[in-house]
Amino acid sequence: MFYSGNVSMNYAKTSIMQAKDQGFIRCHDCGALSETHHKLSHCPRCDSLLHARHPHSLQRATALLISSFLLYIPANIFPVMIVNQFGAGEPNTIADGIIELFDAGMIPIGLLVLVASILVPSSKLIGMSALILCAHFRWQINARRWTKIYRAIAFVGRWSMLDIFMISILVDLVNFSGIQIIAGSAATAFASVVILTMLAAENFDPRLLWDNQQNL
Amino acid sequence: MATHDYDICPECDLLLNAALPKIGEKAHCPRCGLLLSRPRKRSIERTFALSIAGFILFFPSLLLPMVGVTIMGNISTGVLYAGVLALFNDGMEAVAIVVFLASILFPLVNISLALLISGHLYFNHYHPYLATCMRWMQNLNEWGMLEVYMLGIIVACVKLMALAQLNFGWGLYAFVALLIITTLLTSNLDNVLFWQRIHELRKNKHHAG
Repeated sequence: MFYSGNVSMNYAKTSIMQAKDQGFIRCHDCGALSETHHKLSHCPRCDSLLHARHPHSLQRATALLISSFLLYIPANIFPVMIVNQFGAGEPNTIADGIIELFDAGMIPIGLLVLVASILVPSSKLIGMSALILCAHFRWQINARRWTKIYRAIAFVGRWSMLDIFMISILVDLVNFSGIQIIAGSAATAFASVVILTMLAAENFDPRLLWDNQQNL
Repeated sequence: MATHDYDICPECDLLLNAALPKIGEKAHCPRCGLLLSRPRKRSIERTFALSIAGFILFFPSLLLPMVGVTIMGNISTGVLYAGVLALFNDGMEAVAIVVFLASILFPLVNISLALLISGHLYFNHYHPYLATCMRWMQNLNEWGMLEVYMLGIIVACVKLMALAQLNFGWGLYAFVALLIITTLLTSNLDNVLFWQRIHELRKNKHHAG
């Protein structure tokens, strides 16, 4: 069977599989159902705006994703923080910070930062692009698998803020006359990449993947 | 066809016959596998209790020193809000605002909203803004990032271990406790039940008035 867990939610028996085509809308906020033919603009239960799909989902997600692609370049090239030791400034990019951890023998923490600040953002950018392409070109895909990929992208996104929080702590703690840590320009770019990709994932509507499938 | 006999999966838009899982059961969408509902035992009472605890713990973790470092005889102590100020003074206003929102404001707003909503539901007291509060709480949940901040503290400490002596203050212990409380809070808060109860309170109000 398809479902896991111990409660079976049965399909309502109709030939068309999308609720939108069967005349039902689910409120995005409270989950209450309304019937399309009542032509309500607001949810009868919680008064929020009703939409069968997120409005302009693909346009918004694409715009946010393109901006994050562009910002991803300076985020990796420029230093995220600068260590000033006795007047000599040593700029650190995101990759430098990870190499430093590996050199110091901190392999697990190094791997953690590698995953959070390099693997997660780059796979998010690639994954979101693939999702948008699938939905836009109405490709026949394994919708269940791609919905799972979408869920994973939406779940891991916030963990990339790790680097930004670490910098904010270091900047505050290491501020002496002999040694200082200051944030670099890439920190702004990197924080923007994380937030823009989170917004892109939030605006992307996974139901669009299912709408396109001809044989469900 | 009546709407309350049905349910729709929010991620694949499959129309389902409404199932009413009991406490301890989980309802998944048969087509895409999404967890649709997972009723919790005494959700309102627990949310109320946990949000009171979280609200109280928020202030020591914000105001007390978390980590102290000693480098070459110089001592400095880190407080949750001080990182924001340090970034602001370095001219990184945008990053400072993001850190402030994700590590201070949104978690605080989230806990306060959970406290307000569960308090109203616990005492069966209706307020016209309950639905709005509930909506805000749901949408802000993703943007409060205390657990990510905790990981940031750990990585920062590991990086500093080589060149400094570290000692941990009460702020850090309060922060860890706050983190545990907020995690329990999100897992005990049953959105489906909360919306139903808000709706019932509103209906009763209209019938009484």
